[in-house]
Amino acid sequence: MKMVRRVAFNLFAWSVVGLVAFPLIWMVITSVKPQFELFRIPPTFLPETVTFEHYWTLIYDTPFLKYMRNSLLIAFGTTLVVIVVATLGAHSLVRFRYPGRERLAQLVLFTYLLPSVVLVLPLYLLMVWVGIANSLFSLVVAYTTFALPYALWLLRSFMQGIPDDLEAAALVDGATRMEAFIDVILPQALPGIISTSLFTFILAWNEYLFALVLVNTDEARPLTTGVMNMLISSFNIEWSLLMAASVMMSLPLVIIFAFLSSYLTRGFGAGGVKG
Amino acid sequence: MSDIVFSGVRKAFGSAIALHGLDLTIRSGEFVSLLGPSGCGKTTTLRMLAGLEFPTQGTISIGSRVVNDVPPGKRDIAMVFQSYALYPHMSVAENIAYPLKKRGMPRAERETRVKAAAETLQLGALLQRKPRQLSGGQQQRVALGRALVRDPVAFLLDEPLSNLDAKLRAHMRAELIELHRSLGKTFVYVTHDQLEAMTMSDRIAVMNEGVLQQFATPKEVYEAPANTFVATFIGSPSMNMFEGALADGVFSHPALRVPVTPEASGHGSRLLLGVRPEDMTLGAGPLNGTIRVVEPSGHETIVLLDFAGTTVTVRAPPDMPLGIGSVLACDVKSSRLHLFDAVSGLRIAARFGAALPPA
Ligand SMILES: Nc1ncnc2c1ncn2[C@@H]1O[C@H](COP(=O)(O)OP(=O)(O)OP(=O)(O)O)[C@@H](O)[C@H]1O
Ligand SMILES: [Mg+2]
Repeated sequence: MKMVRRVAFNLFAWSVVGLVAFPLIWMVITSVKPQFELFRIPPTFLPETVTFEHYWTLIYDTPFLKYMRNSLLIAFGTTLVVIVVATLGAHSLVRFRYPGRERLAQLVLFTYLLPSVVLVLPLYLLMVWVGIANSLFSLVVAYTTFALPYALWLLRSFMQGIPDDLEAAALVDGATRMEAFIDVILPQALPGIISTSLFTFILAWNEYLFALVLVNTDEARPLTTGVMNMLISSFNIEWSLLMAASVMMSLPLVIIFAFLSSYLTRGFGAGGVKG
Repeated sequence: MSDIVFSGVRKAFGSAIALHGLDLTIRSGEFVSLLGPSGCGKTTTLRMLAGLEFPTQGTISIGSRVVNDVPPGKRDIAMVFQSYALYPHMSVAENIAYPLKKRGMPRAERETRVKAAAETLQLGALLQRKPRQLSGGQQQRVALGRALVRDPVAFLLDEPLSNLDAKLRAHMRAELIELHRSLGKTFVYVTHDQLEAMTMSDRIAVMNEGVLQQFATPKEVYEAPANTFVATFIGSPSMNMFEGALADGVFSHPALRVPVTPEASGHGSRLLLGVRPEDMTLGAGPLNGTIRVVEPSGHETIVLLDFAGTTVTVRAPPDMPLGIGSVLACDVKSSRLHLFDAVSGLRIAARFGAALPPA
């Protein structure tokens, strides 16, 4: 009886996994099928011939690598800026007493009350006015504006779990404020910092709307808009290339989930704690 | 030398006042306890001395130096926190070495000092462990070790024993006394456990609601409490109070009368006569109380008596027959009575005669 229940449960669990994973599997399979096999009816599940030609085409004949570089620079840049600012900001919100501290923490979330579509045009005009429009830097700035509030809250709830006494002990032991922060607070906050970095990185990696509006040269286009621009037009969709591009775009995220998923779930947990 | 002086120190958190003007001089080498109920400002006092909190008013000095503006690391004091505050990501050895490292001591010397401190506290075998792999008592010793490796002017300890079980607490108490004796350093010890304060201290600062009530030796605090708060806070079960008036040299309460000669005038007419449970003798005497509650605890029995509406606690030997509702004859030791002003609560120095039966 117990055995039957276990088997039933496993069947159920795996069928859910299969359902969710099917589009991904289909994506990978499609990317290695030759073009002529794609629209065969009935469709083949496993490719009759496996080919990597689409990957080579993308890498050698299109600006794909340039987009990849842009995406990496933007995602890493955003993550770096957001983490540095959010870590120090969260520390301040948790540790120092000043009037309006709670208000400030709440105010920060107001950004999310407005849909991004409303924000993106003023932001574009602002970029033009400042003179950084159409650059990688403009996207880093834009992504920071919407990743920072969330990162601040996430890190704040992580840091609220660090006892005040630890920092006080370090101060009494002869550390300066900055040393106490580096020696004691940072190591304690590290899991929080890692999961916040992952969230920020994923957010920046997948962003589409801001990239579409703020940037229109290949020099600064990230993968999301670059690939769309290159492979999807009103007349034609390059399915094979699109699938190959999607596989390569997913790789960094797959790696993150494979190796660091425990940090991500910890991040979800901390976010759930009332701040 | 390096006396610690609080003068006129006030501390307010917003509108809440944690400390109302504290004046306190702790002599170099002294073991002083700050004793009082929860929320009376003990930790606040200690944190201000450590430099973790700034006085709203007044000055704190260590030696001849006013330290109000000196950051914690430059005050030359070591502190043991109630939560121990061990650095979770560092091993025991790294925890103990941290204050030395921050003071720029060379590695070799650091290691000898850590070894020596670990030796004193029997931590030798645990040096490579992380704090979470230690028992409460071991963590507490590491926290002490982190204070001991340095050679500070004073050690500040905030209820260091409160998280330990009774047996370990008694053991650590003895070790702390021994440590103080061998180091000869100033210890400022926060506790709300009067037994700890009484057994360990040279002097006790009894505090209540942000006000220093009395600063004196344990003996003095017990035998001559400065006011009714100290009188009832020190001693367990706490001191009994009979409210009455003084007329013709006799204090009278509906259940007892005692001849009293105050050594000074100027007190009010409503007075409190204080008698500790251990200062009442049972079985014979001019006073009669009705037995209400009997609480045997093995080596003695605590009895609550009713004296004309005043509830009085006494200690009885374990084999004494005690029927609830029956009447027990008692006497008070007249040399060990206390008199207080019922309004101000202040002690009134007085001499007492033998108790008389009620009128
Ligand atoms: N950071 C703070 N903000 C506001 N009020 C505070 C703060 N720290 C302490 N207080 C208040 O100051 C008073 C004294 O607190 P303190 O911590 O010194 O008490 P304590 O004597 O150490 O008590 P306990 O025995 O419970 O540790 C309390 O009423 C407390 O609520
Ligand atoms: Mg306290």
